[in-house]
Amino acid sequence: MIIEQKVEVIESKDLEPTKYVETKVATFKDVLFDFDRYTIKEDNKPVLRAASSWLMENPDVKLLIEGHCDDRGTNEYNLALGDRRAKAVRDYLVSLGVPSSKINILSYGEEKPICMEKTVDCRARNRRAHFVILSKGE
Amino acid sequence: MKMKDCLLVNAGYAGKLFLFLFVYFILAVPSGAKVYIDITSPAFKKLPVAIFDLQGEDGEEISGIIREDLDFTGLFDCVDRASYIESASEPFNPKNWTPLGIEAVVKGTVQGGKDLRVTITLFDPFEAREILKKQYKAEKGLIRAMSHSIANDIYAALLKKPGIFRTRIAFVAEREGAKGIYIMDWDGHGIKKFGLKGTLVLTPHWSPDGTKIIYSSERGRHWSIYMLDFISMTEKKVFSSRGVNMAGDFFPDGDSFSFSSTREGTSDLYVFAIDKKRLKRLTSSYGIEVTPAVSPDGKHIALVSDRGGSPQIYIMRPNGRDIRRVTFEGNYNTSPSWASGGDMLVF
Repeated sequence: MIIEQKVEVIESKDLEPTKYVETKVATFKDVLFDFDRYTIKEDNKPVLRAASSWLMENPDVKLLIEGHCDDRGTNEYNLALGDRRAKAVRDYLVSLGVPSSKINILSYGEEKPICMEKTVDCRARNRRAHFVILSKGE
Repeated sequence: MKMKDCLLVNAGYAGKLFLFLFVYFILAVPSGAKVYIDITSPAFKKLPVAIFDLQGEDGEEISGIIREDLDFTGLFDCVDRASYIESASEPFNPKNWTPLGIEAVVKGTVQGGKDLRVTITLFDPFEAREILKKQYKAEKGLIRAMSHSIANDIYAALLKKPGIFRTRIAFVAEREGAKGIYIMDWDGHGIKKFGLKGTLVLTPHWSPDGTKIIYSSERGRHWSIYMLDFISMTEKKVFSSRGVNMAGDFFPDGDSFSFSSTREGTSDLYVFAIDKKRLKRLTSSYGIEVTPAVSPDGKHIALVSDRGGSPQIYIMRPNGRDIRRVTFEGNYNTSPSWASGGDMLVF
């Protein structure tokens, strides 16, 4: 006697988590910091207020805050410092009412300078929190 | 090949050197091992040695590498070959060397072919005996590694300490805008790049047995810690969490490693055991703590913390206790690293 065995097949597939991609629907100026500091200076607060209102009016986007440093100090220390800068900006935006779930942070330390010269002005531009607007990708 | 000859020795101090070594021998090394160089002594002088070109194909190159290795340490004077009385083919005769004050003589032969077979003998003219006699066999492509091994054995025979000449260095370099991990011999030869994914790779650290490195890489907007195994030539992610995770030193057990992470706020130090997958937090200050350097015996961790207002070097126990500041001068001290003896820090 032959017993027919039925194999039940359960199909499944992994669904990709929602992907966010960079978009240029809005841009905000970089927030600049003093050397080895992560406090937000008064002259940066207007940009942050504008960013917070825009974020609250646009529910489908997320904000990525990148923390950057100048080239002084070790790569590791600067990654920790960049992280602090990004978090300081995040905390300020949250204090203005932006839900923290809308904000991602990422430190690049001194790894992605926008200015390569070793001048005072150039280093000042590199000590920044940079904003990237993310929207749901296809 | 241009020969790298070292200083001609002033024969005048040879007698004094010998006397000094003799006294040292009596006082400090009653076990019988002769120590040729005591680098901690205020009377320290370079040890005059004669290293013949090994006889046979590639012999000149091998001896050249050995001389460069020994010369680099600053502990040896490789005596100019023009002053040798004995030729390479003549048997070793101590009387040819003692008048020159030469403390050690290296002679040997090479047999070529697919493999290189090297035989070396290290003589002590003052005791008129062979201190070391050894054979080596390696593929021809490994000529530098083999020469470094011979230099290590000579160094160890004379100093009773292991040599560094087989050391390899892992480092990060940037070429055409992409950072990558490279490995080279300690003397800058044999640079090799590892084709790792991602453009941002940082902080490579060796496992104690030299078969693996761990490092940090940013991929998909996350800083995680990866491990490259040189035996299997495979890479795997060993630690990942939110925030920036930066690989630090391994512990001597070869399984757990130190690292810094911003997962709980500002950067703190942690230990992760790879096999047991166990995470332990070591610091929780308001300041930044980064670059953990584990002492060779595993009993201390040196780190950088800005808890005092500026980045300074601190030392603590591997469980995070007994933390104390060790640098007080200057307002930016970073990158601590232990000397192999565990008695000094460079930063």
